[in-house]
Amino acid sequence: MTSQHKKDSIAALANRLRWNIGDNFHDKLTEGIYADAADIASRAVHQQGEPRNATMDSKIDSIVTSKTWGFPIMIGILAVILWLTIEGANVPSGLLFNLLIDTMYPILKGFSSQLGIAWWIDGLLIDGVYLALAWVIAVMLPPMAIFFPLFTLLEDFGYLPRVAFNMDALFKKSGAHGKQALTMSMGFGCNAAGVIATRIIDSPRERLIAIITNNFSLCNGRWPTQILIAVIFIGVLVPDSMSGLVASASVISIALLGIGFMFLTSLGLSKTVLKGEVSTFTLELPPYRPPRVWQTIYTSLIDRTLIVLWRAIVFAAPAGAVIWLVSNIEIADISIANHLIEWLNPFGLFIGLNGVILLAYIVAIPANEIVIPTILMLTVANLKMAGLGEGSGVMFELDSAMETSNILSAGGWTLLTGVNLMLFSLLHNPCSTTIYTIYKETKSWKWTTVASILPVIMGFVVTFLVAQVWRLFL
Amino acid sequence: MNQAAINLIVFAALVAIIWLVSKLILSRNILHSKEQKHKTLTEDILKQLFHVQQSNRIATISNLSGALKIRKAKILPMVVQMTKAGLIETVDDTILLTEEGKAYGLKIIRIHRLWEKYLAEKTGYKAAEWHYLAEKMEHQLNEKEILELSDTLGNPLFDPHGDPIPTQEGDIAPVEWIPLPTYPLNMPGKIAHIEDEPGVIYQQILAKRILVGSHIKVISSNKNEIIISSEGQKHIFSPIVAANISIVPLSKNEAYEERAERLSSLQENQWAEVLGISKECRGANRRRLLDLGILQGTKIKVDLASPLRDPIAYRVRNTSIALRNSLADLILIKKLNADENT
Repeated sequence: MTSQHKKDSIAALANRLRWNIGDNFHDKLTEGIYADAADIASRAVHQQGEPRNATMDSKIDSIVTSKTWGFPIMIGILAVILWLTIEGANVPSGLLFNLLIDTMYPILKGFSSQLGIAWWIDGLLIDGVYLALAWVIAVMLPPMAIFFPLFTLLEDFGYLPRVAFNMDALFKKSGAHGKQALTMSMGFGCNAAGVIATRIIDSPRERLIAIITNNFSLCNGRWPTQILIAVIFIGVLVPDSMSGLVASASVISIALLGIGFMFLTSLGLSKTVLKGEVSTFTLELPPYRPPRVWQTIYTSLIDRTLIVLWRAIVFAAPAGAVIWLVSNIEIADISIANHLIEWLNPFGLFIGLNGVILLAYIVAIPANEIVIPTILMLTVANLKMAGLGEGSGVMFELDSAMETSNILSAGGWTLLTGVNLMLFSLLHNPCSTTIYTIYKETKSWKWTTVASILPVIMGFVVTFLVAQVWRLFL
Repeated sequence: MNQAAINLIVFAALVAIIWLVSKLILSRNILHSKEQKHKTLTEDILKQLFHVQQSNRIATISNLSGALKIRKAKILPMVVQMTKAGLIETVDDTILLTEEGKAYGLKIIRIHRLWEKYLAEKTGYKAAEWHYLAEKMEHQLNEKEILELSDTLGNPLFDPHGDPIPTQEGDIAPVEWIPLPTYPLNMPGKIAHIEDEPGVIYQQILAKRILVGSHIKVISSNKNEIIISSEGQKHIFSPIVAANISIVPLSKNEAYEERAERLSSLQENQWAEVLGISKECRGANRRRLLDLGILQGTKIKVDLASPLRDPIAYRVRNTSIALRNSLADLILIKKLNADENT
């Protein structure tokens, strides 16, 4: 027999034998290997002492996953963390603001004028780049430095997997994973960190859903915008004694609306573009353990806060330059910013916003924190209001909501503009830090594009509908 | 009418147009060329003829037209062309496959079943969607792609419904199934095949969470209903539904486990031993369970139920693992008595 004959006859024999080995021999083989591995492990691994006492764990579990207390405890803890973050960040934010903007900025300006640096270099670097950086650091650093360590402490204690365990039935209905409850909550701190946190979701489809919908969690860069606009436009609708309450309620409803959109979009994605992606669910509930406080604070500062802050800074610096340039380069005696505002105005007004807001959202893609300062600067520059602001291309904020309100009403803002800005602040593209993070995590331009474009389209549709219905009835 | 109302109407019209266009593009008729449609129809006819001959029935133009839901006037020219191409021959009004036509038909069936196997193993599509997707794909793969597909799946012998997949050489495993309505009483057997057409009946079977590979016994059988017991549960079928389920007796080396139940039925404070994972738990999900050490002989008990009772956490190898009930349905266990739990 030649070797070709031998090969053929072996192949033929193999083909005949295939019918006898059953159709699930691959599974049998794998299971055999796993069973052997388990057997070897049980013989080789020795445990010293008794296994840990699990009564304490099951006591905690029987409370935090109970029908009665499971959900209230969860919502309570999230509310406390958010409150601590928003309230607690005020003081350090104020200090940083004082240092970087009220003190350092004039010193830098004075220094540069002493040196006789050309006005445009001074403007571009100090008014543009430095101010944007200072703003992002002052507004972003304190809340993140409070939110993430608190979150990490809960994680270290072992509570977060129980949240996923409690919430899974709800998330499953929209085709998502229980752990998305965690990445969503993390998104309330920062969407970029929320997107990184989706690494805990081991099923490919559910992970993509969590990444794309994370932007619907109102991040801490957007809370101040929401609060300011709610106070100016919604709080004034009711008597003074009620205004604080009504303003907070409207901000909370925007956040809840975000959660609603998150569920809807998850459902939509799992029924359409993500249909057919592999989906698995297993969740390990680790034993509780006392959190290692210092180590946790250190790692969460390094891993989450500083990385996200660094990325934000990298993106904010060029944005500051762009903001300054569009306000200071003039074509036919009108600044580029004003040209753009005129050009965007018709569409902006059509959907119940205005050109200034749209331009602010375009140039402030790097960080939601600088949207309000940019809007104020652009409004003042656009209307050529004398005595307000710091000059073209210089972002600013005012100490009193009243003055801010005056500028905005001079800019033609109405209650509809305020409401729609709150909606658009919830439903617009993620900041560039988050977009970059989404690309890093998915390594796919397709999903990055979907995650970036989808919320803007939803924002346009929602603000459009609100504006038309508003004009129809009011 | 004011401007806002007009805007809203225009918007509604736009949404409706976008929806219609996307529907049209999704339905396959609009994008395919004439040749592609011709190929599809040829292959559908060959496949249908193959099934008819397998079941020793006779194919005519009128029953082809009925089975494929295509007008006779459209079938007739196809039959003429396919006869010319040497795929079929006609004797009186009976249509028969030539050897060449049979090989072609088998190839289409091979792709269909391989693709269903692929969808089951490597994607997250639901069982009810496999058939429809495979119907589209079977007309689109070339020889090289078929070989690659078969290779990645480890040259499987059966599709997820239990149907044998024809080999590259055109061999097909013989099946000795007994339809459930005629399967003898109290004789241990296992579900070999669940027919996925018509979809209405398949949906009913899926809703009962009946699985290919499950061990069963028929408890009672008459012309009104058939009752089987399987994995700790009783199921009642009407004969028309039962006719789409086929059974084979257990072979010598398969033991019928009287006490087999599904993990999802395990009560709190009771230990059980894992008997195995159902064949219908596939791909990534199966691997995940194995990774977690859920193997034959592993001891398991309920650790904790979530507030909405899905998922449920189980204690396995000193770890607490939460599984959704749909996955726990695919794990077979044997409940242990107090004295067995040592």
